[in-house]
Amino acid sequence: MAVLEIMENEFQERDFTLPVEQKTEIKIEDLCVEFPDKDGGDPVVALKDVNLEIRQGEFISLVGPSGCGKTTLLRAIADLQKATQGKIEVRGQSPRQIRLQKKYGIVFQSPVLYDWRTVRRNVCMPMELMGMPKKDRTARVSKMLELVGLLEFGKHYPHELSGGMQQRVGIARALAIRPEILLMDEPFSALDEFTKEKLHEDLLRIWRKTNKTVLFVTHNIQEAVFLSDRIVVMSPHPGRVSAVIDVNLERPRGIEIKETPEFTAIVSQVRRSFEGI
Amino acid sequence: MGKKNPYRKERILSILYPAGFALVLLISWQTQILHKILGTDTFTLPLPIRILTIMMDNSSDILTDVAATLIVALTGLLLGSVLGYLLAVLATALPRWGMGGLNMASAFSAVPIIAIAPIMTNLTKDVSDDPNIRSMVAKILVVMLTCTVSMSTNAYRGFIELKPFSKDLMKSYAAGSWTIFEKLRIPNCMPYIFTALKVSVPASIISALVSEYFAEYIIGVGRQIRENIVLAQYATAWAYIITACLMGIVMYGCLMLAETIMLKGRRT
Repeated sequence: MAVLEIMENEFQERDFTLPVEQKTEIKIEDLCVEFPDKDGGDPVVALKDVNLEIRQGEFISLVGPSGCGKTTLLRAIADLQKATQGKIEVRGQSPRQIRLQKKYGIVFQSPVLYDWRTVRRNVCMPMELMGMPKKDRTARVSKMLELVGLLEFGKHYPHELSGGMQQRVGIARALAIRPEILLMDEPFSALDEFTKEKLHEDLLRIWRKTNKTVLFVTHNIQEAVFLSDRIVVMSPHPGRVSAVIDVNLERPRGIEIKETPEFTAIVSQVRRSFEGI
Repeated sequence: MGKKNPYRKERILSILYPAGFALVLLISWQTQILHKILGTDTFTLPLPIRILTIMMDNSSDILTDVAATLIVALTGLLLGSVLGYLLAVLATALPRWGMGGLNMASAFSAVPIIAIAPIMTNLTKDVSDDPNIRSMVAKILVVMLTCTVSMSTNAYRGFIELKPFSKDLMKSYAAGSWTIFEKLRIPNCMPYIFTALKVSVPASIISALVSEYFAEYIIGVGRQIRENIVLAQYATAWAYIITACLMGIVMYGCLMLAETIMLKGRRT
């Protein structure tokens, strides 16, 4: 019973009339990441002097051309990439501590489903690793699949699903262990426009319900504007933050918002900040 | 509706064509047309009916030899595959040694069975007083060596060749090396095991047959092929050749069946 109550609380609709909490979730100070050159030459500088503060419950996008270090930044926050210099603090702790506490949910560029597991057992996997009791797992998997609209596909194997459905399973899996922070690395870049638009709306709905902090990496400006509270524009050689742009569009947002002048204005503002590189 | 499934028709045809070819070959063999084409006679290439008759008449003898060969092939296959798998585990756990060690191991596979078999017979001459057991050990060792290499190299690839980000995914859930091994590497390796077995199952039969040639104790399907050819009893030799073929086909069939069951749901 207690588990169910927690789940109900978790999915309470976010009230947008209240001000967003201003607590800092992730704080990045003078972050540098270098990759050693294999031939013994100068190391490649992937990120240089990155400073950034991300607030709790915020939807934030990292936008930039390839080579700007946006994926590296996400991986550094996720503790999948070591920082050469500087500091990352997540809720006052190190990324490693947060990772070991299993507070991250990550969605990668590809769905990364294990093809020997059914959809249900893929979503279940992180909970198995956490040692959650079987009864709770089963209930949780159903809840997650319902959230991404794939409840009736639980018994299918990944290769029987379309790319969009596979990515949705990946999202369900990422949310399954109730992560505090959702990290998404170009999750929709391989999908067609129609599927993408559908998943954008799905993602916003899920975000509204779960109240997570979302860090979303993309090279698609429209996508970033549609989804985010703030956009971090990054530029390459070396990778650095060149602008942070607020997206003051009202929520909840629907597809039609893309045709408003406000939307177009922000898109061009982001684009101009690229041209200023 | 009575609508015909075009795929089904294609599948039936894909079986019918080779089966038809085999039938034509068999008829031309029995009617001695094949002998005219090859310029041979029914003494060297006995007629199918005669081979079949010999197989029926000597079925109990043949079964004894089949059992002897199967014990060698299957035991060697099992021991070799388990050893190969463990070597792959070791190579994965010690990545610095892994690649190089396995490259050395695969150099072994270049040594022909004909070279190893007499050496093994020589090495195992003090193992037991019973020549049957002595020979059995020598033959199993030959088969084992062949199967170890194919399993170790393939299983190692199965442990190492992971889909992009799948290890990162595990790490993001704070999974340690052992959990990654258990939940990711072992299941990922499954199809590679079958790749190895598709090589080593036929190889185990062939190694068993060939190593019997050099064994001290005279038993087994392979040895009977040799003995009967030496005695110019070609029809009996052919009966054993057909038996050997059947053994290979049946074992391969079992493997395919096992693969279908074990890899159910995976994209092949």
